[in-house]
Amino acid sequence: MSVNKIPVGPFHPLLEEAEYFELKVDGETVVDIDLEIGWMHRGHEFISESKTFTQSIFLVERICGICSTSHPLALVHAVEDIDNIEIPLRARYIRTIVGELERIHSHLLWLGLAGHFIGYDTLWMWTWKYREPILQMFEMISGNRNHYGMMRVGGVSRDIDLSIIPKLLENLDVVDKKMVMIAGAAKDDPVLRSRLKNVGILTHQAAVDLCATGPTARASGVAIDVRKDDPTDAYDLIDFNIIVLPNGDVYDKLVVRVLEILESTKIIRQCLKKIKVVQGAILNDVKEVSEGEGIGRYEAPRGEVFHYIRSDGTNRPIRHKVRAPSFVNIPTYVASCKGIPVADALITLASVDPCYCCTERSIHLVDASRNPLSVDLLKMSREKTEQVRREVHG
Amino acid sequence: MQEIDQFKERMDGKISHLIDKKRRFYFNVESENIREVAEYLFKTLGCRLSTATAMEMMHGIEILYHFSLDRAGQYFCPRVVITDKEHPKVPSITSITGGAVWIEREMYDLWGIEFEGHPRMEELLTLHHPQGLKQPMRFGRTE
Amino acid sequence: MGWYNRRLAKSLWVFHISGSPCNNCDIEILDLLTPRYDLERFGIKLVGSIRHADVLLVTGILNQKVAPKIRKIYEQAPKPIFVVGVGTCMSGSCCFRDSYNIVENREAVIPVDLYIPGCPPKPEAMIAGVAKLLGVLNARN
Repeated sequence: MSVNKIPVGPFHPLLEEAEYFELKVDGETVVDIDLEIGWMHRGHEFISESKTFTQSIFLVERICGICSTSHPLALVHAVEDIDNIEIPLRARYIRTIVGELERIHSHLLWLGLAGHFIGYDTLWMWTWKYREPILQMFEMISGNRNHYGMMRVGGVSRDIDLSIIPKLLENLDVVDKKMVMIAGAAKDDPVLRSRLKNVGILTHQAAVDLCATGPTARASGVAIDVRKDDPTDAYDLIDFNIIVLPNGDVYDKLVVRVLEILESTKIIRQCLKKIKVVQGAILNDVKEVSEGEGIGRYEAPRGEVFHYIRSDGTNRPIRHKVRAPSFVNIPTYVASCKGIPVADALITLASVDPCYCCTERSIHLVDASRNPLSVDLLKMSREKTEQVRREVHG
Repeated sequence: MQEIDQFKERMDGKISHLIDKKRRFYFNVESENIREVAEYLFKTLGCRLSTATAMEMMHGIEILYHFSLDRAGQYFCPRVVITDKEHPKVPSITSITGGAVWIEREMYDLWGIEFEGHPRMEELLTLHHPQGLKQPMRFGRTE
Repeated sequence: MGWYNRRLAKSLWVFHISGSPCNNCDIEILDLLTPRYDLERFGIKLVGSIRHADVLLVTGILNQKVAPKIRKIYEQAPKPIFVVGVGTCMSGSCCFRDSYNIVENREAVIPVDLYIPGCPPKPEAMIAGVAKLLGVLNARN
């Protein structure tokens, strides 16, 4: 058995972030995978020690552009956990609305990239086109398409004016209608199903042993979701389901994300209805944080974001630990990538929705074009889809 | 909470400095007992290892593990205090849970803590760093 | 050279590299190719290899580990190449100034011709930046 190594990255045309995978292949099958990371490392935990709690909120937003509100939410939960600070009811609904909008836009982004990887460029263009109404909603609520700066310790910084709610609901209707159509298309398309079913399976046992979180775990039958397990903000006041599927393959991960988008629109509608009637303050102005430690978590689109704060009574943390969901999800590659054909490698690597900037707050890149063994994984992935299409349609 | 009471009873004598807050339970444990505690939390209670935080304090290096009991929304946080700051060593828990591999490598990388029994004790983020960055989170290593 | 610049301005081929960004600028760059902004109608397209590129888009603060790779890519690029630094990170380190892993002088790693500040810059700002670049190219006739 002769084993060849295929290095992928760091600057691979398809991977926006720098990451270095080394796939060991025997013939057409991947036998092992190795990862090197470190090219995105910016040292957030070090910089945090010299920032105040409020400044840290702006700093952690910039850990990742796509999970831009998950990190601030987990951070403010951590600081509020130190003293069990009460959050005003209106602020809780506003936080939930912003968090769920982010979930929709992140899942749509992933759907588009997954489509691009397997050759469904139309899916890419459609899902990214229907991200625009969501980004417009963000602009109406916070003033920016990304990096909203809305969270504060004790509440939120901006209110949602009642006059914009009809426009918000209008945008949500546009997205909802298209999502129902995309969900139907994904369910009915025989090529998609054949291409993605039983590809890159992460078993239930492996998901538990490697401590996976988020859609990666839920698609393998592990029913965990911070919104139900440890509800904060408005999640214990509204009605929604978590999506759990048993197989652990890429198809299940796709279906979990599609159905989560539909659940998120349900949550946002309930919150917007409440915002119309719930009056009150949006910020519990906290003047002091006592000495102690606090843990804050939030269910980001990729999984559980974990922040830990240790405070000594001053206005700066003495220790701020960040653990993004991709840090525990990316190592699951060793379980899901073994034994798969090389043409499926790219979509399996993408299926956990890796966010390298969250993971290492650092990235790793390798120049693939210098290696004589380099293979165009994207081309292989798309060719396989064509082959499946020919088989399905006879 | 029932699980916490059972845990306290089972580990009586091995844990100290208990802090029991709403859904967060912190306690100190000696480094020779951390594997037994981790095994009980992961295998018997069914917790998930979320992450581990390392902190350099004046009295030593603290490692705070974070085990999440998802069905109750509860966090169990064993704390190991290492007094030898020159050569900090702790037994690895990678044989109990595979999720600890990257978590312990990160702590080795940024603080220099060695985990005995780790299958691949090498840097995670500063491997092949051109300027040879070493243990940047320790006191006085970076200006 | 004037003839070359005029041809270039008709259809710019762009290569994007990320040097330790938070990814927001990168997503907004990809957003420009999607139906709402659709930069391809100007003849601008994203290419897969640096050797085909006319414009290099760089994002991020450039940490010490990635800087030599970025330098290598810049050296591999066929000259003349226009380098555009997208985002506040390229313009001025954003909030990562105090990091232990940031390069001291970004301009020494890769010389930048055009900065588009913003965190992230709105797609309209990036289109305005591209238009400015096209104007510069046309003026160099």
